[in-house]
Amino acid sequence: MAHRRCLLSLARHATAVISQKKMPPLSAVEVLTRKPNPAVTIPNSELSWFSFWSHSRHFSSSKSEDSETEVEVEMEEASDVEAENDNAASDLGRDYSPEEKEAEAAAIGYKVLGPLQRSDRVFKDYEPVFAVVQIGSHQFKVSNGDSIFTERLKFCEVNDKLILNKVLLLGSPTQTIIGRPILPDAAVHAVVEEHALDAKVIIFKKKRRKNYRRTKGHRQELTKLRITDIQGIEKQEIKTDGKPLKAAVKNPEKIAAAV
Amino acid sequence: MESELLTFKEKNPQLEVVTELIRGQHPHLKGFYKNKNERVVCVKNMTPEDILLYATRLRNALGRKVVKLKTRHVTKHPSVQGTWTTDVKF
Repeated sequence: MAHRRCLLSLARHATAVISQKKMPPLSAVEVLTRKPNPAVTIPNSELSWFSFWSHSRHFSSSKSEDSETEVEVEMEEASDVEAENDNAASDLGRDYSPEEKEAEAAAIGYKVLGPLQRSDRVFKDYEPVFAVVQIGSHQFKVSNGDSIFTERLKFCEVNDKLILNKVLLLGSPTQTIIGRPILPDAAVHAVVEEHALDAKVIIFKKKRRKNYRRTKGHRQELTKLRITDIQGIEKQEIKTDGKPLKAAVKNPEKIAAAV
Repeated sequence: MESELLTFKEKNPQLEVVTELIRGQHPHLKGFYKNKNERVVCVKNMTPEDILLYATRLRNALGRKVVKLKTRHVTKHPSVQGTWTTDVKF
């Protein structure tokens, strides 16, 4: 009996040390059966930790990267977490504080700057620069002066200035900058032109021989944006000779392929 | 509705808001745009909030025709680095 008690206390200690959640075993029989448990729980817990880290893919990818991209990746992760929080909040109520609005806008990929003034001269001539920018779940290849229709953006009025900050790629005739996945110091400026409804889509459901027909109309809300400026890449005058341009284009893409 | 119309009027000084009494017709909103289009929304049996929503929609629109969009991206300069063809070698 004394021997058993000793064993019990030993096992209790061991379980308490290794996994604090576990209840101390009640009977001696249980102790005997659970004896191998500590040995099992350690690799289990280790495994779970390992899998937790391996879930965040940034960890493994950032090993070989330079420090700048690492920071960027971390930022992205943080924003993802924010986005999740926001979604949880938005489900509860429709009232948003300014911070929440900003966070939600950041999750979609834009930032509201305020109304466009008469004195602002944001519209410029065409520059031979393009950017691939992400808004929500859509990606657009834009350049200066383009207009794009996105899903309706919340918290912005007609005539507001926006910054689209999820820039995935920048390009000029001589240079290409590829983000992985986002270029942190690039920005695309845009102006809200219109909140409008798309053409009507008719949703028609029908079951054969069951006398079942349902018709429903839907008009998607869209926002029309006009791209005014692309920042983060040096711009040049438009060149007319084609050969040197092509040669220059060749190099950055090769580098990108090597990476 | 009348109070909301007043606030709507104050918020949008660039608009000219006129009320008219027409007998024998449903109540409606009519938007006249600068490109000489006009858009009419019937607001019969609607709550004031709905009417305000439709008024803001009229305000937010440019007055172009409702057409099915072929593409959501309109550009004058389709390619910066040159259109790819089968002859282009990298």
